[in-house]
Amino acid sequence: MIALLNLFSVKSSRLAGAPRLMAAYLMRSNRAAPQRLVPPILLGLGGVLAFVLLYAERDWVEESIQWLRHQILAATGLAIIVSAIATARRRVSKRAEFARSWLAALPVRARIAGWETLFIETLPAAAAVGALTGVYLAVTVVAAFTPAHGGSASLVWAAMSGGVMLGAILSYGIPNPKPIDLPPGSRYVPHRRVAKTSTVRPSLKALGLWPLRLMFARAQPKLVARAILPILVLMPLGTLAADAMVIIAFYMVGGALLLLIPAAISVSGLSARWMAPLPVRGFAVTRAVLIPTLIAIVGASAAEGLFLFAIGASLRASAIAGSVLAGAGCLLTMTAARLWRARTPSARSRG
Amino acid sequence: MTSVSGHVLAIRDLRAGYGRRVVLENISMTLAPGDWYVLLGPNGCGKSTLLDCVAGRLVAGGGEISIAGFSLVADPYEAKLRLGYACAPDALPALLTARQCLEVHAGAKGLSAIAEDIFLLAEELNFTPYLESFVDTLSLGTRQKLAVLLALVGDPLLIVLDEAFNGLDPASALGVKRHLRARLDRRGGAVLLATHSLDIVEHYADRAAVLIDGRLKKEWQQDEIRQLRTSHGDFEAALAQSIRMS
Repeated sequence: MIALLNLFSVKSSRLAGAPRLMAAYLMRSNRAAPQRLVPPILLGLGGVLAFVLLYAERDWVEESIQWLRHQILAATGLAIIVSAIATARRRVSKRAEFARSWLAALPVRARIAGWETLFIETLPAAAAVGALTGVYLAVTVVAAFTPAHGGSASLVWAAMSGGVMLGAILSYGIPNPKPIDLPPGSRYVPHRRVAKTSTVRPSLKALGLWPLRLMFARAQPKLVARAILPILVLMPLGTLAADAMVIIAFYMVGGALLLLIPAAISVSGLSARWMAPLPVRGFAVTRAVLIPTLIAIVGASAAEGLFLFAIGASLRASAIAGSVLAGAGCLLTMTAARLWRARTPSARSRG
Repeated sequence: MTSVSGHVLAIRDLRAGYGRRVVLENISMTLAPGDWYVLLGPNGCGKSTLLDCVAGRLVAGGGEISIAGFSLVADPYEAKLRLGYACAPDALPALLTARQCLEVHAGAKGLSAIAEDIFLLAEELNFTPYLESFVDTLSLGTRQKLAVLLALVGDPLLIVLDEAFNGLDPASALGVKRHLRARLDRRGGAVLLATHSLDIVEHYADRAAVLIDGRLKKEWQQDEIRQLRTSHGDFEAALAQSIRMS
């Protein structure tokens, strides 16, 4: 035990001059042992699974490597661009985060601060190179078992890894992207502006708005824009504008449902905790929270059925799809909300 | 609302904790009508846990809590109907407006309207302009004011405040203290406040107690506090001396 403690203090003292790394190391050490073991175990299992898949699909892997070999310039260029943009974005967000951090005011030697910052900012690029190396080693091992295979993997690995590293270096030469400063969630919530304070009418109705507002708060405009882009890209050439609109609407309503259901579940827990000191039965709170959400789910499911009909599905299939979606959505929301509410601390017996 | 004949709050042999860790043990206390009871104690001694038990946010491991004669376990509806609890500002729902928070509290208490004195206090605390604002856009002090206003909805007999003056500007803090004192004198309910501010004990409290390691170490009755106020020039030192001697 004492040896373990010594080891711990030696490791942490080595990082003492680099407070951000030391804090990260200590936070990791504070996790319970089983939690610490999960990532390496998952990584190991993932590696074995990947190796088995690579071996089973060795012909396809060989074809892919050959294809990449022919597209080596484009692939390297893409790796450089993606790595440069991602590293620059991480740099901006990490610097903004550090400026607000509890460690910001600590004195750190300039040389150590420089290395620490560089390590933190380029960590994903280094991890990507590590992952590429892992895949390359696995492919090499697979190739060793199948003499007919192998070949271009080294070139592809070197080009891609070099591209990622070059991109990370080049990112320090490009201007900083606009810093992302997350505003309050309510900024994204549509809300009627009231010029004059309206009358306070006692009611639990406002609880019903809470999940819908949480849905809007989570669906920030940037996320919505990013979600639409792949849909537009995947749409086949020659698609009519009207069809495209219907398809986008279909995905948007589906996305809204994906956000609304978890929002309703988490609000059921939050409201239970907030309302615990009030003389109101749990059922009344759940009803007030869930009824507008369930109405929204049924409405959205009907719309999804209608969109399916509009893009050519039969009336019967559209009606079945809409009904199944509504039923499953409502059932999932009610069950999960009940379970979530039951596991909130206010409902648990302690001591 | 019912008139108070007995105790506003009665706690008997309360035991509570988190998992295996026992935080409170053998806590017994009563609050009579008109009492302003201040709970003192070092950080982590169990003050907030005790208030959480009284507010029904934490189920006690043992003992009994009753508010105006109604058991918090056997008759939680009637007990909570007589309770006003100011939650921590960060526990308020971020995506509701201040007005909607008031509506929900009033709705839960079955009121048809909110009493005029809440709005007068809101006006005095300069809170009225924020009624239509989302909670997540309010400053800490403004959220604290909202938490206090919510605790007063429904004219509760027992008002439970956990560090409710943190973040309030001096003028607002004075406004709240005076309002609570006037409310106690008029209504005859009780206030249970956990705080580190000794000035509240000196100027407003009727009774006080110090909680150390989950046990009530020392309790001052009304006449003892009066004596501390009059016989010593330095109230803080006298209170500290009194704790040491206990």
